[in-house]
Amino acid sequence: METAKRYPEIELANVGMRYSSDASEVNALQEISLDIAKGEFVSLLGPSGCGKTTLLRLMADLIQPTSGSIKVSGKSAKEARLARKYGIVFQNPVLYDWRRVEENIALPLEMMGVKKSERKRKVAELLELVRLQGFGDKYPWQLSGGMQQRVAIARALSMEPEILLMDEPFSALDEFTRERLNEELLSIWGQVNNTVVFVTHSISESIFLSDRVYVLSPHPGRLSSVVDIPLPRPRNRETRNSPEFFNLIARIRGSFEGV
Amino acid sequence: MKGLRFLRYGRLLPAMAWGLGLLILWEAASWYLLQVRQVPLAQSKLPYIHEVLSAFAEYGDTLVQEGAVTFGNAGLGFLLGAAAGALLAILMSLSKWIEHLAFPYAVASQMIPILGLAPILYGIVHDERVARVLIAGYITFFPVSINMLRGLRGVEPSALELLYSYAAKPWNIYFKLRLPASLPGLFSGLKIAAPLAVTGAILVELMGARHGIGVIMLRNLYYGPSHTYMFWSTVIVGALLGVASYALIGGLERLIAPWQPEFRDKGGDRL
Ligand SMILES: Nc1ncnc2c1ncn2[C@@H]1O[C@H](COP(=O)(O)OP(=O)(O)O)[C@@H](O)[C@H]1O
Ligand SMILES: [Mg+2]
Repeated sequence: METAKRYPEIELANVGMRYSSDASEVNALQEISLDIAKGEFVSLLGPSGCGKTTLLRLMADLIQPTSGSIKVSGKSAKEARLARKYGIVFQNPVLYDWRRVEENIALPLEMMGVKKSERKRKVAELLELVRLQGFGDKYPWQLSGGMQQRVAIARALSMEPEILLMDEPFSALDEFTRERLNEELLSIWGQVNNTVVFVTHSISESIFLSDRVYVLSPHPGRLSSVVDIPLPRPRNRETRNSPEFFNLIARIRGSFEGV
Repeated sequence: MKGLRFLRYGRLLPAMAWGLGLLILWEAASWYLLQVRQVPLAQSKLPYIHEVLSAFAEYGDTLVQEGAVTFGNAGLGFLLGAAAGALLAILMSLSKWIEHLAFPYAVASQMIPILGLAPILYGIVHDERVARVLIAGYITFFPVSINMLRGLRGVEPSALELLYSYAAKPWNIYFKLRLPASLPGLFSGLKIAAPLAVTGAILVELMGARHGIGVIMLRNLYYGPSHTYMFWSTVIVGALLGVASYALIGGLERLIAPWQPEFRDKGGDRL
């Protein structure tokens, strides 16, 4: 076992999540167990409504599971959040209208009490990393959707999180932009080397990005299969055209037909 | 520069055209009432604009002086009322308990007609200045409080979760998110309240004061037809004070919260 040697960063054991209100009860997730090693890039893949966002929010300590346990570096998810281990990128960029791009990126740094000169230096670095040099003094609404999402990524990376949680960050973008941003994300990850949990409903996106894909099925949300992606890195345009890539797509698509 | 051009073509030109058209129509209607229909007291009903303007020129000093007194009192009351309203909004947003305690009274206070409240208040404080300031503040308080509270509360959940994920301290959540997000609401409250505060101050003046535009308004009304033009001048000054207060707040908003959708440059001038 290659992964067993590595330090398990995120461990979920029999996690279940039930949303209950007065009127109804939704069994969103049931018996989810998985281990993600430090530095891995994994995807959570499944049709909409299968509990991907719920799972991500559980890992991020935005909600608490109704059963099972979540450990991050051996501690609770709450401790991980308080230790500022998470960088989160939501489906929408969630930029603050009243802040310029550079101020949005610096927001987590302000929370951490980083000095202004240091913030400036880091923001300049991050703008370069997400290839938005020269846009620092723009307001969010002056940027395209893809650029806004890159700002959100830079903001999430600014606190140098050990874990990057991304919830369908590119699903609102057209396919050309999305494929370009996928490649950019991999090159950023190559430089930052943190653990990434990436939620998507696109089979090809999950394969292109990940070391491993967790396939979820709905009603209730369960892990239906786990697929290792042995495609060599760095991955690029050619990866998408390789027979191995198509084989993996067929395999994962097949796993859905069984459901 | 872009902003100025927008002002010139987008707003000023149509406004001037409207203004000019209105003036011509007014003069014509006034002439019609006086000369053609020969209505009794025609000039009191619709005076010649040029006569009003000449009264304006003749008594300009007095009008400006008295107008300034009214504006000063209204302004002071407005500031106090706005501060109290903002403070209450913040307190109510911090605690549901305070909201349940204060909100019904805030609403009930708005049920008391100003026309009745002003003389009562004047009877209590016996000071024309204090009474004006209090009424202006009283009028300002409610719209500011309600609109700002909505802004403080109406923060997007994901914007809040973002800060939660940074383990942000409560004061950071307030200063970095809730307060900036409440600015549009605060300013719409202020813009509603500003002209009302002026009106409120004038109302108190009508009930007895020594200075203020409302005082000479009343005096010239009593003097009858001979003072018609002066009376109309005071009415116009009152209206101008209201417009000025609104414009002042609007300008302030552009300075403090310029990031709002309505201020965004659409690209290209609207001609
Ligand atoms: N806050 C909530 N309250 C009640 N039900 C919810 C809530 N959030 C999600 N759900 C339900 O849980 C299920 C999984 O939702 P979600 O995690 O958003 O799925 P996905 O992200 O895969 O589309 C859905 O049936 C959804 O309706
Ligand atoms: Mg989702």
